[in-house]
Amino acid sequence: MAEADFERRLERMFSEAPGLPDSETFAERVERRLDRGWTARRWLIGAAGGVGGLIGASQLVMSNLYQRVEDAGQSARALSQGLSRVTPSTEIVSAISGGYGVWIAVGLAVVTMGFAIARVIEEI
Amino acid sequence: MSGAATTSFASLHDVELSRYAASGERKAFGELVRRHGSGVRQLLRRMGAQPAESDDVAQDAFLAAFERIAEFRGEGTFAGWVKRIAARQYLRRAQKDRRFGGFAADDAEAALEAPSGDVDHRIDLDEALKLLSEPERLCVSMCYGAGLSHGEAAEALNLPLGTVKSHVKRGLEKLRAQLAPAGDAILEGRRGNG
Repeated sequence: MAEADFERRLERMFSEAPGLPDSETFAERVERRLDRGWTARRWLIGAAGGVGGLIGASQLVMSNLYQRVEDAGQSARALSQGLSRVTPSTEIVSAISGGYGVWIAVGLAVVTMGFAIARVIEEI
Repeated sequence: MSGAATTSFASLHDVELSRYAASGERKAFGELVRRHGSGVRQLLRRMGAQPAESDDVAQDAFLAAFERIAEFRGEGTFAGWVKRIAARQYLRRAQKDRRFGGFAADDAEAALEAPSGDVDHRIDLDEALKLLSEPERLCVSMCYGAGLSHGEAAEALNLPLGTVKSHVKRGLEKLRAQLAPAGDAILEGRRGNG
């Protein structure tokens, strides 16, 4: 038999290894280890996100954000009053740029967080 | 993930499964493990690992493969790709345990005694591999079982290329004497048994 033929035959014999009787158990063990790693990673990311969120929130509070938003709201109201002289309807603009804007943003943030939590629960 | 997706994994090709796995679908990767787990474990046993060790290394290899699944682009077979990972991991582990000494080419001389060559005594690949010296079995398994080139095997074993080539050459000579021509019948029988 030629050298190349024998080498091909040998490769074939290696690749045609008979299935082991506990192959299902082995696969389940690997899947369990994958799941464990995945869960640990998810908790780690969640914890890191939580800590990051807390730090971010505390930074916002400490930077006197609410006062700045109020100031911005007053500026926006002044702007919308000016615009109302030019355009016929500015109710929406004033609603968004005024105090309502903050509440809309908060509402959107709550909805986004709801989606995120739902996704995490689905993953678990 | 939907239930329909789960049930359909069994009908998908390895490349498609690996794409699902790359997107984080662990069940798809589980199907790949189901298909190729035995092959990887058998290769490690043929390289010289004990059954328990081969299972441990194979598990680690599959986990490493999952981490690096995006690197698999379907250019070769998935089985070959995982086997290369597993073979390298087994070598690293064995070298860390200092189980392999330096495999100088001359070390194999003692094991070079001619095999029985009795062609009526049909033995399969596993039995034939047992007649090889440890470095020969490793080099042959890595090159023909894991699909590594001589150069890659030399690098993984930390040996000169010429040494690996001579181990492979000697190993092939012994295997040829043991496997020809009765091995064909064995091979066909195995294939028939699925």
